[in-house]
Amino acid sequence: MIDVSGYTKMYGDMVAVRSLSFHVAPGDVLGLVGPNGAGKTTTLRALAGILQPTSGSIRIAGVDLQQDPVAAKARLAFIPDEPQLFDYLTVTEHLRFVARLYGVPDAAPRIPALLDELELTAKKDALPTELSRGMKQKLAIACGLLHRPAAVLLDEPLTGLDPVGIRRMKETIAARAREGTAVILSSHLLHLVEELCTRLLVIRRGEMMAFGTIEEIVSSRPALAGRTLEEVFIALTGDDVLDGA
Amino acid sequence: MLYLYWHAFINRLRSQALRARSPRYIVAVLLGALYLWWALFRNTRGGSAPLNSLLLSDVTRIVGSAVLLLLSARWWIFGADRSALAFTPAEVQFLFSAPITRRGLVHTKLLRMQLAIFVNTIVFSVIFRGDATELSTWERAVGWWMLFSTLSMHRVGASIVRSSAIEHGTAGRRRAIIPVAVFCALVAAVAYGVAADWTALRIASVSGIKTLVTAVAAALQAPVPAAALRPVQMILDPIVTAGTPAWAMSLAWALAVVLVHYLWIIRLDHAFEEAAVEATAYRAEVLQRFRASQMGQARSKKGTLVKVPSLSLQGRPEVAIAWKNVVAALRGGSWKTQVISFVVGLAVLAFATRAASTKAADAFVGVTVGWGAMLLFIGPLWMRFDLRLDLPRLTVLKTYPLSGWRIVTAEIAAVTLLHSITVWSLMTVPIAMFVQDPQAYLETGVTIPILASVVVGVPAFNALMFTIQNGTALLFPAWVRLGTETRGFETMGQNLLTTGATTLVAAVALVFPVGVGGLVLWLTNDWGGWSVLLATVLASTIIVLELWPVLHWLGTVFEQTDVTEVGSPS
Repeated sequence: MIDVSGYTKMYGDMVAVRSLSFHVAPGDVLGLVGPNGAGKTTTLRALAGILQPTSGSIRIAGVDLQQDPVAAKARLAFIPDEPQLFDYLTVTEHLRFVARLYGVPDAAPRIPALLDELELTAKKDALPTELSRGMKQKLAIACGLLHRPAAVLLDEPLTGLDPVGIRRMKETIAARAREGTAVILSSHLLHLVEELCTRLLVIRRGEMMAFGTIEEIVSSRPALAGRTLEEVFIALTGDDVLDGA
Repeated sequence: MLYLYWHAFINRLRSQALRARSPRYIVAVLLGALYLWWALFRNTRGGSAPLNSLLLSDVTRIVGSAVLLLLSARWWIFGADRSALAFTPAEVQFLFSAPITRRGLVHTKLLRMQLAIFVNTIVFSVIFRGDATELSTWERAVGWWMLFSTLSMHRVGASIVRSSAIEHGTAGRRRAIIPVAVFCALVAAVAYGVAADWTALRIASVSGIKTLVTAVAAALQAPVPAAALRPVQMILDPIVTAGTPAWAMSLAWALAVVLVHYLWIIRLDHAFEEAAVEATAYRAEVLQRFRASQMGQARSKKGTLVKVPSLSLQGRPEVAIAWKNVVAALRGGSWKTQVISFVVGLAVLAFATRAASTKAADAFVGVTVGWGAMLLFIGPLWMRFDLRLDLPRLTVLKTYPLSGWRIVTAEIAAVTLLHSITVWSLMTVPIAMFVQDPQAYLETGVTIPILASVVVGVPAFNALMFTIQNGTALLFPAWVRLGTETRGFETMGQNLLTTGATTLVAAVALVFPVGVGGLVLWLTNDWGGWSVLLATVLASTIIVLELWPVLHWLGTVFEQTDVTEVGSPS
């Protein structure tokens, strides 16, 4: 569903992401983890077609993002860490705007259903400035899910959500994965990653440090055996990276 | 503070220089330098400085002082400009919690304003530089600096007093009542001067704008308005007397005005911190609430959301982007009000002037045409419901499943339509007069072809102007004001240069269309009939044909623009 091959992004002489290759199958939830400045957001933005890669290729649902960006973008959704909404459109108007933009054929029944699922019905006529941070995040996610994307990219999706909101959001993400959507989420919340993600992609200074299920990552590095995910993360991304890790 | 602003200035220059390494910015810097040379220094080549001669005229001194009086009266009578007091969130975090006295904060604000004042001083000194001696240019520069500094301090002072009046109820209002009363009296004195000479002004208005301005100046020389304008003229005198023996004395008086303003601001320090925090919060709130709507309110005071046209769920996706921008304008509040006011106000005035006399009606039509021409050039600068508003959300825009040129075209189309409606609303004047006396207008054979030409030509011209503005924002996002950031009059100098540059680009783009249109009129030798419409249609078609490849190219630029070049919404 999401195929990345040799993706490299450079800013002048500085390498932001170096030769990244991985595959996310339908129904998979890939956790993209790494320390601050590791290249997570750069990678997600490249997958969303926001940043042009310096080299390498990205395919979304079989469509090459560089060759046919419009078709590829129609198949994916990118939800940034900071919801970027239009202050003068209400919640419902945002969804109508997205429906028209993506040509969603069954938007009329789908909009109230999504509002209901994300508990936004009571706020359907509110402007973004009248919403809490969590509500804005939910609206951004509703906009992303409206056109039933084949691939969903979430950058820190739980930022600003209360515990109930976090529970709902996790359910929403898991439900999409069960429906066959390929999901990539970047997060510093390792418990979320452990709970939701079927695979992990650990990057550090733009380079892939590990890729696979937690078990696969640990089993390929004997020194990590028996450690918590937090310890594994620190071992893989710290300056004293374990030999063989 | 000096450390903070000096390093902020140097770092900003450094980042600008780093950007200038890009070929696009290098070309722009070279063209900009050429333009600056042309705009600012070309006068020296011919040995004459026509703009400078403006300053030597008594009319400029008198009318200029009246304009300045009205400007400052606006700050007092119609409410303070709170942005004059606002600090950045970083300044509030670091300075307000630091062991700095209120007086120190006042000085910080005054210091920060000086950068824009210096730039303005340089720009205006060069534009209006003297032709007498080298020294007079520098004398005049001192005068400009004093003028801009006084105005800045006056704006800050008015802002503090007005904020204090709002915050502190009766006691605050009592403090504000004296300056408001004084300014009301000064404005009334000027209005009295104009009213006393009304008959002469009416006669002068028939002979053209130059005669009218001279007549206004003469009216304001009467004892009452002259006395009201005298304090303002004191800060203008160092500019207009530069290079003469009277300069030293005028400088002393102007310096006294500057010092009085400084001491006044310093004495207001007790109210400053509170007002500044409040203004900063207000600015943040304004930015947050109206980030995309530029001005006004999305909801009425009763909480009702402004009604907008509904967006159909099916159809061309570009329409969604255009619709979004129209909603921004409608919920912004002032566009719709402005158009309605134009139509109603102009209709009333048109009926009144037509009823008064044919000459008065003709003069009013002339004023309306001038206003329309000004709107065509100025409107695209201030009406920003397009990419200039949306570029801070480039991360989102780039995820849309649309090619770049379609997004750019949709962004420009909406604002072109909105501004065309604004300009079309001025047609209320000829239409109202036509309704009053259809036969007279039909007989001339000019009215209908001209109106039809306006209907056809305005959208094409607007599309060109908005494409230039949006193209500039796309090509040089680091240099263009994006989002809803507002700037005070201190940036007037820079705005003047930007307006000149975009007008120059538009002039180049218009050479061929206007040439072809002119050729049609010349060949048909019909300068007021249906040939005007034919010429307009041809010229508009050429503009559209010119824009077609430009929009495709801007679409490619949009697709290649790195989100890191554009700041996120503030």
